[in-house]
Amino acid sequence: MIREALVLSEFVSIGLALVLVYFLLKICRFTRSISLLGLPIGFSHLALSYTFLALYLLYEENAIFSDSMLWLRLITQSFGCAFIAFSYYFTAKTDKPVRRLLMVISVASVLSILTFFVALLVTPPFLVLPSVQVAGNYSRVLNLVFLGYVVYYLVARLRSRDREFSDLVSAPIAFSVLWLAQYSLFIWGVDGSETAFTLAHVARLASLILFIGVYYSSGRVRR
Amino acid sequence: MTAERRTKFQIYLDILEALSDELKNDSELQLTKIAHRANLPYDRFRSYLDYLAQLGMVSSEPDGGLAVTEKGAEYVQELRRNSEFLRRMGLMQ
Repeated sequence: MIREALVLSEFVSIGLALVLVYFLLKICRFTRSISLLGLPIGFSHLALSYTFLALYLLYEENAIFSDSMLWLRLITQSFGCAFIAFSYYFTAKTDKPVRRLLMVISVASVLSILTFFVALLVTPPFLVLPSVQVAGNYSRVLNLVFLGYVVYYLVARLRSRDREFSDLVSAPIAFSVLWLAQYSLFIWGVDGSETAFTLAHVARLASLILFIGVYYSSGRVRR
Repeated sequence: MTAERRTKFQIYLDILEALSDELKNDSELQLTKIAHRANLPYDRFRSYLDYLAQLGMVSSEPDGGLAVTEKGAEYVQELRRNSEFLRRMGLMQ
């Protein structure tokens, strides 16, 4: 029963993330802005990570296949968070769109891959893959840093715009909830708490719904 | 602190919104006034306006005036939504 609920939660997450990617790609196409592509790339990686987790849950009996799915899940999730964070970082740093996208892709890729090498190096025995649980905790710390940066960036921006507070508060809330989902997964990875595990899934679904809500509420623009 | 550069689509939005607002007024349409409202030098404003006319967003009226077409109005609506979403997501000023 719990497994079915988890699979369902993964499929709902995939659907929500893909809807969000569709909206983001539509905006990139409409605005002809390639510098914004980091965000749909990031969320599509998150959708991929949910897919790998769903595949793991469905084929858990096949040890080699399910273990690979967990590794792919970790990598795509970290890639996703990195792409999202660096989209924000380079938005503030440069107004040259092509350069911005290239920087997002290169820095996000290098950092994500580097984390897994660090996980390999610091986990004994050396030159042997660490368990996926250990690597998972390293990657979650990295994801927390990435998402924490986005929350910090948006909150700092919010503080400078008192009059637009109610309009601009929804995105930092959505990212904070996504951060909470990662934090809960980290806690679950450390102590195996079922409450943290449940909270991680609920928070993830809530954050994706909030992002889609931001898109729909943007259609009701006040002038 | 320097002002952030507008993207092309923000400029189109500013022009179409300024034009729509001016058309709501009964007074005679003044292109220089719209250029000023869109915060553009007149020559650049004219080239953007010609481009918008080519795309069918703006049309010339028989009396020599201008109008925002249905396609233009839909485009403004979509631009508003997109720019508002990007603003709320913190990716635009």
